[in-house]
Amino acid sequence: MKVSKNELMAALKKAFEALGFQPGDCQDAADMVVWLQTHGFDGFDRLQGALAYLNTTAPIHADLVQEDAHHAVLDGRGSSILLCGSEAVDLIRSQVVEGSWAALELTDCYNRTFILQRLIKAAQRNLGFIAYWRQQDYCVKVSIAAGAQLPEYQTFTMTGEFDAQSLRIFSGADIDVIQHQFAQQLEFGEYLETFSGEEMMDCYRDSVEQGIEIDQTLWQTLDELVARILVESTDSSRAGAGD
Amino acid sequence: MHRDHPTTGQQTGSNGALPLRPASQVMQLERLGSFHQSRLSFMRTLVRHMVAENWQITSPVFDLDEQGYGTVVYQVEAKYGTFSYVLFSHYLDPENRNDRVIANQWDLTMALCEGTVDAAQIEFLRHNVPKQEAGRVDSRVLVLSRANRSARTFEYVVNELTLGRQPDVDVIAEVGYLYRTTAAYGSGKLGMADWEKVRTKHPDFARPFAAEMFTCFMLRHFSMQQADYLASKRSPESAVTLHENIKRYIGIGNSTGLGMAPFLINHPLLINQWIEMRETALARVVAASECGVDEATLKRLDLATQRVIQHLGEIITADERQNSSNALVRTELQLMHLWLQEQGAELANNHYVWADLIQHAEQSWRIETQEVINTLLIELYPELVDDLEEQMDVDESQQVTPEMSVAQLIDVIEDKYDWALAIDFSQYESMGAFWYRSQEKMEPRLGQTNIDMGMEKEMPLAIGRRVRECYDRLCSYNQVRPQQNVAHFNMHNPTYSGIVARIQTMALSQYGEIRENLVHSDVLPIHLLRCKLSFFGVSKFDPRSRLWVRNTMFQGAPLISDFGKPFADDWQFPIKPVLTSG
Repeated sequence: MKVSKNELMAALKKAFEALGFQPGDCQDAADMVVWLQTHGFDGFDRLQGALAYLNTTAPIHADLVQEDAHHAVLDGRGSSILLCGSEAVDLIRSQVVEGSWAALELTDCYNRTFILQRLIKAAQRNLGFIAYWRQQDYCVKVSIAAGAQLPEYQTFTMTGEFDAQSLRIFSGADIDVIQHQFAQQLEFGEYLETFSGEEMMDCYRDSVEQGIEIDQTLWQTLDELVARILVESTDSSRAGAGD
Repeated sequence: MHRDHPTTGQQTGSNGALPLRPASQVMQLERLGSFHQSRLSFMRTLVRHMVAENWQITSPVFDLDEQGYGTVVYQVEAKYGTFSYVLFSHYLDPENRNDRVIANQWDLTMALCEGTVDAAQIEFLRHNVPKQEAGRVDSRVLVLSRANRSARTFEYVVNELTLGRQPDVDVIAEVGYLYRTTAAYGSGKLGMADWEKVRTKHPDFARPFAAEMFTCFMLRHFSMQQADYLASKRSPESAVTLHENIKRYIGIGNSTGLGMAPFLINHPLLINQWIEMRETALARVVAASECGVDEATLKRLDLATQRVIQHLGEIITADERQNSSNALVRTELQLMHLWLQEQGAELANNHYVWADLIQHAEQSWRIETQEVINTLLIELYPELVDDLEEQMDVDESQQVTPEMSVAQLIDVIEDKYDWALAIDFSQYESMGAFWYRSQEKMEPRLGQTNIDMGMEKEMPLAIGRRVRECYDRLCSYNQVRPQQNVAHFNMHNPTYSGIVARIQTMALSQYGEIRENLVHSDVLPIHLLRCKLSFFGVSKFDPRSRLWVRNTMFQGAPLISDFGKPFADDWQFPIKPVLTSG
């Protein structure tokens, strides 16, 4: 079945609310899912993976375990980037504003591809970002120039030791400078492929024109979550609607 | 009297250096609930475009039976594109006629679609549109809507026409319409096209709610066409068609309940934009009177005032509060009329005469009268106002400013949210109500604290309370960890990240936050409804309780047959027509 972006956003926000997310987190998480899905990153598949976890625990946010003027380390405590992504990006943004560049590591965190939307949104504030993480047996590198609407998304083979669930983000005004500054940390194995901006835009344009294809089972799952925040209707409650 | 500057305590708008009224005045709930239609209201804008661009509307399918039931397709050739308005007319047992959102049957159901529709699409729509929320449509559909007949007027009008007579205008005036719409869904609901698609692909409807308003306009057209059709079927020899002046006086009824209220809270940047444009219009008008105004303009204001007095006198409502308000506004407008009569010549030479009038109204008359006057002033200067219609949309994303210090954020709240900090939430009444979504179609409802079920599922609409809680937390955090910024605060207090983003975003705008405790026991949600409805462009507010209101859409507006003809665009505050031949 197809749904519109707006009704998907509405359903996701309510579903996350049902999972115990706070109002700001509901919005951010829904934004992340919708962005990924509408830009061709299999947002729904990743969401299903996240829901399997989120449905079993109260929301867990990251802990700040180490920080200086340009560096920070957050412990994701096994949680989802849907919950930790905003705080990680906000922290590195604040460091860059105050110190012109910053590097952040988020450990023990899942569903990291969703971070793309938070980085794109932050890039609109004239900040550039480079991020990388391990995805199964390869490495994902994302580069977003200041003000860019789309990321450069590339994959590489693995080299050296990569923490399976960590995410590293580097930020500054100019990503070429960042790339140069952190060249050693941004060395990966053999280049595999690029998911181009054109492909992302094609997906996006199609979702706007035709709607977004969603598996009925996932839509049903969201419906069931939304039902948790609805209140039983009674004669008394109908009076609260004007009857 | 000479004034160097229009008024005091104002803010400056984003449209230049014009001084705007302060949010502390404009964003009071009672004032928002006193707004009237203006030239920037979405119906007004839509009508201006349809008439000026001479939209062509035909009905390639008009397949109604003797009872008026069946299918109609209107094809719309607008300036930039072709659209189809597909309507299904059904028999509805009067027992099942219900205006509430929880209804599941209606007299009419409609869909506005992009392009032309073929037989297959009509069949698809026939299977889904009559089900409304229980159906699914696709992204070719822009708006889905439904309507119920007026039990008081529809049959009466058809009978009169059948007998060869025009209906009594007084009977029409009592109701104002033949059909009431109970919902017009757009913006991607139920699988429809997203607003983003409408905005970017269809310039004809690229202003907020333009497609939804058009759907109601077409319903109005059909309602009169159907009445004419039924009369001609019942008595081909004797039947007459509705007089054009009566047709213009017939609008579309509308019932609006709590479903509309959360919109104003959840879209603060959009509301800010709408109100800022309206305030900018008013400021431009005031500035235009810097060197006085000509007598012809004063005369036009006087005539418009008399028209409002008549309009309010013709409204019939069972709501005592509204009746009393209408009577008082009429009295006060009569005083303004006398003021204009007595001082006309002198006023013409006054500097900032409109600022004087506004100030006099604020000092002498009630809020509703003040807002009627503001609306009338805006009407006088289309050349200064109408371009603002293209600025009613805005990017609604909220953004945290993480580098802001906690101390700065505390200052921002004290400056911009002083109204929220002034509320004493320790009083039971201050938290005597809560908003929640019902299982019935997710309808928003208002519950009584500790009496109704569902408090644990409260919708986060109590902005004032959330700001207060955030402020208290910020203050205690700042004592323990001075020098830290918002990123740190949010990390340690993720509960507040949403309200922090809202506060920081809205602090950059002027309007947008409604300065009222929306969970007070005595909150009047009807003010919220009326504010939004005024931007839609409705008239004749008829409150049915503090939770829902009936009103009239497009009453007094031109007809399709008027498109392309000279047009004065002065159909606000409709009054009973005087019939002439033709």
